[in-house]
Amino acid sequence: MAIKRRTLLQAGAAFAAAIAAPSIVRAETKVWRVGASLPMTGPFATAGQLVAPAFAEFETVVNDNGGIGGIPIKIEVEDSGYIPKNALANFQRSLAGGDLHYYFGDSTGFMELVGPTLKGDQAVMMGSTSFASVLANPKERPYQYMAGPTYEDQFEILLRDVAAKGGKTVAFIYSDTEFGRDPIAHGRKIAGELGLKVVLEEVTKPAGADIESHVTKLAQANPDYALLQGYVTGVWPQLIGAARAFGLTTQFMGTFWAMEKVVADKVTDQAGPFLDGYQGVMPYRYFYDQENAPYYRELAAQKKAANPDFPGYVVTWELEGRLNLELWKKSMEMTLEANKQITADNLMASFRSIKDWDSGGFFGSPVTIKDHKIGQGRVYRYSADTKLFTPSSDWLTT
Amino acid sequence: MIIGEYKTDYAQDEGIWNTWAKKLGFLLALAVLLLIPFVANDYQLLMAGQIAIFVIAVVGLNVVVGYTGLMSLGHGAFFAIGAYTAVAIHQFFPHIFPLITLVISMVVAGFFGFLFGLPSLRVKGLYLAVATLSANFIVLFFIRQDWLEHFTGGRGGTETPNAYLFGTELVTNQQKYFLIVPITIVLFLFAQNLFRSRFGRALIAIRDNDHSAEILGISLFNYKLKSFVISAAYCGAAGTLWAYFFPAILPEDFGLNMSITLLICLVAGGMGRSLGPIFGTILILMVPEILKMVAFYFSEGNASAQIYFSPIRDIVFGLMIIGFLIFEPMGLVSIWDRFWRFISRWPFAK
Repeated sequence: MAIKRRTLLQAGAAFAAAIAAPSIVRAETKVWRVGASLPMTGPFATAGQLVAPAFAEFETVVNDNGGIGGIPIKIEVEDSGYIPKNALANFQRSLAGGDLHYYFGDSTGFMELVGPTLKGDQAVMMGSTSFASVLANPKERPYQYMAGPTYEDQFEILLRDVAAKGGKTVAFIYSDTEFGRDPIAHGRKIAGELGLKVVLEEVTKPAGADIESHVTKLAQANPDYALLQGYVTGVWPQLIGAARAFGLTTQFMGTFWAMEKVVADKVTDQAGPFLDGYQGVMPYRYFYDQENAPYYRELAAQKKAANPDFPGYVVTWELEGRLNLELWKKSMEMTLEANKQITADNLMASFRSIKDWDSGGFFGSPVTIKDHKIGQGRVYRYSADTKLFTPSSDWLTT
Repeated sequence: MIIGEYKTDYAQDEGIWNTWAKKLGFLLALAVLLLIPFVANDYQLLMAGQIAIFVIAVVGLNVVVGYTGLMSLGHGAFFAIGAYTAVAIHQFFPHIFPLITLVISMVVAGFFGFLFGLPSLRVKGLYLAVATLSANFIVLFFIRQDWLEHFTGGRGGTETPNAYLFGTELVTNQQKYFLIVPITIVLFLFAQNLFRSRFGRALIAIRDNDHSAEILGISLFNYKLKSFVISAAYCGAAGTLWAYFFPAILPEDFGLNMSITLLICLVAGGMGRSLGPIFGTILILMVPEILKMVAFYFSEGNASAQIYFSPIRDIVFGLMIIGFLIFEPMGLVSIWDRFWRFISRWPFAK
């Protein structure tokens, strides 16, 4: 068959249309893209695997309710193995995949690594699991935020509670990690201001610590309260168990990552009721405290509808992930309502302007963003009998 | 035996690219490397930069493990020394020429290589591996110390400087690529030439039989230590480029995990071969990424699906490494050898 000029032009036009069509279609079927790196493998795989379903559920619920501004969301989760370099590669790959409207990071290390790169066309609104104090810095980290108080804030809340309860002496016991050391300097300062005497500062390994040696030092100092920092599932239960076996009356207190009911329950089941009376700061209501938490009740109903075997409890780690996503959604809605374009700068401007927001029960008071964080928390006490953390203070703000 | 390499003088025999196939391969590789920054996106450049930096470190490790036959599990520490030295230098001279930083970091890392290489004079094999293991812990211990925090950032790590090249700050991955890749090529070629010299052949002699080498007049003390120093200096260079490439460094980036990763790259690529580090590094760094992309393709990023895909991906990667070591124990480079042997003999023999 002879190829005529017209045939050639028609074929060329058809080819060009075929090439261009996907981009036209893409432009029409816009979604709000959210990326996330979670530790689905590695040392914190348990946390990652517990939190991951919440991202899928959030996507379903938002889209079932019409998306955000009528546009559906798409959450893409990848495994980081809790290695910051891997999470950075995940983030860059997400960016390369097209418009990215939000990213959720899995560690302080990742947030620190990616922070300086968030500029120009790489700027993305970013939340994470971290409460590291360095991240609550709008000037240095204009696109990163945290869904709660910093570790410094949490330590401050604990120290104020100790002072309010008549404590005179405290010990700081923390892991030899960035996570462990984060609030220590601030803690010294606040203790000084409150008239509390820091009688011991003990550094431990983050795992496999020499418990007997640490407890011996604690017994020598014999403080009224011991504040624990930088642990998740290990070390802190063993420390408390050994201290109780030693006959110490010191009261132990922890921060967010060492305040999970599932961990405390497991320790109680396996090793006995020695965590009874353990206290700590929790930024959010526990999931079973639903009386003033309509969001929790709604979430429980959704989970029950999706899974009749839902046990009725949502881990605090998942609540943190959900709150991060809710804060992004709120920022998106505010930006769209203001008829502004969805950019990282506009989203963060909306985020910073959140004032007296009803979080649906995550917090005891309306939420106002200050320095890219929410400086609220409450002290809870664990009961080995009821296996519940119950409030032992009012909501405190920093 | 048909070898397909007909040489008529010693100059040809000593040439690095002594067959047309090698020449063509090198030119093609250069062309691809030149093309990458203009066609790749930021993610691809991130991976390319990481691979180039790792290649330098693995080439360095190859000097001591592959060519001298000394086992080391401590090279992650020299990597760290290079990175933190670069950060410290920039505190005093913010706009220092990056090649000067590179040389100083190599000297500092080489010095530590000398210190940690000293046990190699008395022990070898697994005992030396255990002795070098200590380098990871000792170096990271000092990096984490509060009194060094001003230079190292302590446990929290530190933000790293950007390199300035002729007044231009290298900010993007593309700009950094043009600093890193040429240095990788130069250091790679230097190492390749090293083993065509008397010094390199002495190291090979030590690897093959140290008693015989000593009888032949090769000073084991001298050569083993120099091998350690060169190897550590290469890791120091890699560390410096790492600090320039990533916006921040943490103590956890280095240490034992990195030492083992470097060793795996070398074993997978092929020890004692110049191309081994390149193949091994590409394999070990890229396969997990490719598996991740495959998992993403099938799961569409769905969070619930990733719960199952992520561990499976790790299992597949582990099985691949085991299978690879069983079926290609000499490393990827042996596949490459077979391929080029076929090409260079073609069409006269298979």
